[in-house]
Amino acid sequence: MVRTLECPNCGGTVQLKYERTLNAVCIQCLSVLDATTPALQILQKFQGAQRYEPRIPLGSRGKLATGEYEAIGFQMRSIEVDGVTYSWAEYLLYNPYRGYRYLTEYNGHWNDIRTLRAIPTVAKSMSKEALMHRGAKYTHFQTATAATAFVMGEFPWQVRVGETVEVKDYVAPPSTLSSETTAGEVVWSIGQYTPAAAVWTAFGLPGAPPPAVGIYANQPSPFKGRVATTWALFGLFSLVLILAMFLLAIAMPGQRVFDRKYSFAPGTGEPSFVTPIFRFEGGDRNVDVTINTDLRNDWAYLSLALINDDTGVAYDAGKEIGYYFGTDSDGQWSEGSRGTTVTIPGVPAGTYYLRVEPEMEKDGRYHGMNYEIVVERGKPEYIWLFLAWFALLIPPTITSIRAFSFENRRWAESDYGPLVKSSSGDDDD
Amino acid sequence: MTNAFCPSCGAPVRFQWSSAVQTTCPYCRSILVRHDVNLEAVGKVADLPVDPSPIQIGTEGAYREKPFVVIGRILYKYELGAWNEWHLIFSDGASGWLSDASLEYAVSFQRPLPPNVPPARELPRGWTQHVDNVMLQVTTTTWAQYAGVEGELPFEYWGKEQVLFADMRSPDAQFATIDYSEEPPLFFVGEALEFDDLRFKNLKRIEGWS
Amino acid sequence: MFKHPIFALYGMLLLGAASLASYRGFTFSDVDTVRGVPKSIRDNPGAYRAIYSSYHRYSGGK
Repeated sequence: MVRTLECPNCGGTVQLKYERTLNAVCIQCLSVLDATTPALQILQKFQGAQRYEPRIPLGSRGKLATGEYEAIGFQMRSIEVDGVTYSWAEYLLYNPYRGYRYLTEYNGHWNDIRTLRAIPTVAKSMSKEALMHRGAKYTHFQTATAATAFVMGEFPWQVRVGETVEVKDYVAPPSTLSSETTAGEVVWSIGQYTPAAAVWTAFGLPGAPPPAVGIYANQPSPFKGRVATTWALFGLFSLVLILAMFLLAIAMPGQRVFDRKYSFAPGTGEPSFVTPIFRFEGGDRNVDVTINTDLRNDWAYLSLALINDDTGVAYDAGKEIGYYFGTDSDGQWSEGSRGTTVTIPGVPAGTYYLRVEPEMEKDGRYHGMNYEIVVERGKPEYIWLFLAWFALLIPPTITSIRAFSFENRRWAESDYGPLVKSSSGDDDD
Repeated sequence: MTNAFCPSCGAPVRFQWSSAVQTTCPYCRSILVRHDVNLEAVGKVADLPVDPSPIQIGTEGAYREKPFVVIGRILYKYELGAWNEWHLIFSDGASGWLSDASLEYAVSFQRPLPPNVPPARELPRGWTQHVDNVMLQVTTTTWAQYAGVEGELPFEYWGKEQVLFADMRSPDAQFATIDYSEEPPLFFVGEALEFDDLRFKNLKRIEGWS
Repeated sequence: MFKHPIFALYGMLLLGAASLASYRGFTFSDVDTVRGVPKSIRDNPGAYRAIYSSYHRYSGGK
C-alpha cells in the first residue's frame, strides 16, 4: 500500500512503501521526514549534502539463504581513526514475515547482519577482551564511535545524519559480534562474512562486484584449519617414517662378509694389496667398508677399490683417517677419528675382493699402524629417511607462516595493530 | 459454555478456549467479559490501526512440535511503534503468548513472579534473575500503552494506563518479560524463535510477498 | 589427507624414494665406478690406477 506524499521541504514526491516506516528520506533533497505525521514533518534538512549511490538499489529484492528480502534503507556510516575517516555502507533489508536484517559493505567486503536476541557472556582471555556466544569465542577487534554520514530510504526507527553510537566489534571469523551503545542501551548484532559474488547473485546486480581490498576483520582465513591438518598429516608421515625405519632395521640386519686385521708401515715396499675373495648374495644392496685403526696423533690415507672379480667393475673410494689428541690449558682434547666407513650403494651379487692401498707419512711418529677391514652388506642407509623427514617439514611450515601472516594482516587493522609477533602465533614449532 | 450471544448486538459468540475470561464480539467489537454464564459488555474496541503483522486470529503454528492456534491479541503502542502479544492456545489446552515486536518472534508462558522483582520505576537495566538455571538479564525497558484487544484472553484487559515492559535475555535464546500492567507484575518466560521455526499456517496475505 | 592432495602426494613420493634409497642404497659420497679392471690386478695390485691415488695432505693436530 504505497502512500504518495509531498516533501514539505522541496515539494518533491515522497513515496512511502512500508507500513512500519517511522522516518523516511526525501529522495530529492535528502531531508529526513517523520513518516508518522500526515504532513511529513521535517526532522532534519541539508544543503549541498554529499550523495552516495547504493550498490543495491532501494526497492530491489534479493534471495538470501534465509528468504527473500527487499532493500528499504541505505546509510553510510563512518569512524575516524588517527585522523583518517573510514566509511562503510549499510543496507536495511525487510521481509514482512521474517523481519529485518542488514548487509554491510566496506572496501568490497560484505557482511550479512541481524540483531542478536541473546546476551554474549564475557570469556576468559589471556590478552584481548573476548566474549562467548553459543560456544564460539569472539575476540575484541575494535572500539570506535560510528557516525551516520548519509541516509536514504525508509526506516522503522529514528535516523539522523550526524548521530553517533559507540561500536565495539568482536570477531570469530567468519562471524562477528557487534554492540552499539546509545544512551546506555546496548544493542547486539551478529554478522556473517558474505562473498560479494553471493550478494550480486542474490540481488541480480549487473556486472561484477568491486574486488575486496585488504583483509577484513571477520574474513575467514583460507588457512584456517589447514595449519592443524597439515601438521596432522606431517605427524602421520613421521609415524610412517619411523615404522619404515623399524621395518628396515628388522628386515635388513646386515651381513658381515669379510673381517681381517692388517698392519702397515710406510716405505717397506709395495703398499697395495688385495684381500681374499668374498661373495655377495641376493639383489642390489649397500656395502659398508669400515676401517678401524690404532692411529695416535697421525694420519693415514686409504685408497679402497671394491672389485667384482667376475665383471671387472670396481667401486673406487679414498678415505683419510686422522686422530689427534693432547692436553692444553683447556684440558684434554682430541680431534678426528680412528675409523671410517665408506658406503657403496646398490652393489649387485657376485664374487668380490678389495684392493687396498694405504699411505702414511714416511717419518710419521709411530711409523705405521695396525688396522682392521670389515665388509658388511645389506644394512639400510637411514640418512635418506632423516632427509625425507626434513623435507616433509617444508609444507606445514609454509602453511603455518602463511596463516600467521594472514592473521597479522587482519589484526593490523584492529585496535591492536600493527601486530607485534607474539609467542601465541608461533604455531609452526 | 462455548456458545453465547453478544449482550450488545445479539450476534453468536463462540469460545474456542473454555478458560477464556474475555473476548470481543466479532460483529460489533464489544469487549465481552464472562461472569459465570453471562457475558457482560464492558466497552467497545476502537478501530485497531492498520497492522503490518502477518499474524492474525486463526493463524496456526507449532512450538517445539506442539501445535497452537492464535485466539486473541493485545496490541501495544510505544514511542517507536507498536507490537502485538498474540494469545495462543495449544493442542493440550495450555495457553501461551507470541510476541511479534519488529517481527522478532518469541513464544512465552506465564510463570510465578520471582521474589524481589523491583517496582517498575526502580528496575535497573542489567538486573538479572536466574530461572531454571538460566541467567536472564534486563536488556530493554519499554513504556507502552494498551492500544486494542481482539479475541479471547485469559484475563480482563482493556483501557489500561501506560505500563512498563522489561525484556530479559539470556546467553542463549531464552527470553523473559516482566509485565507491570498488574500488581504484582506478571512474569513470562519463553524463547526467541525464527519465523521458520514456528511453521505458521493461515497467515495474513501480504500483497507482493509469498 | 584429502584436504592436502599435493602435500599427501609429495609426502608419499618422498617416503617411497627415501625408503627405497635406504633399502637399496644410494649415496652422493665419493664412490666412483671403474669398469674393465683386469683379472691380473689380483696378482699385481700396484698396477691398479686408483682414481684417488697419490693423495698427499698434511692434516695436523690442533
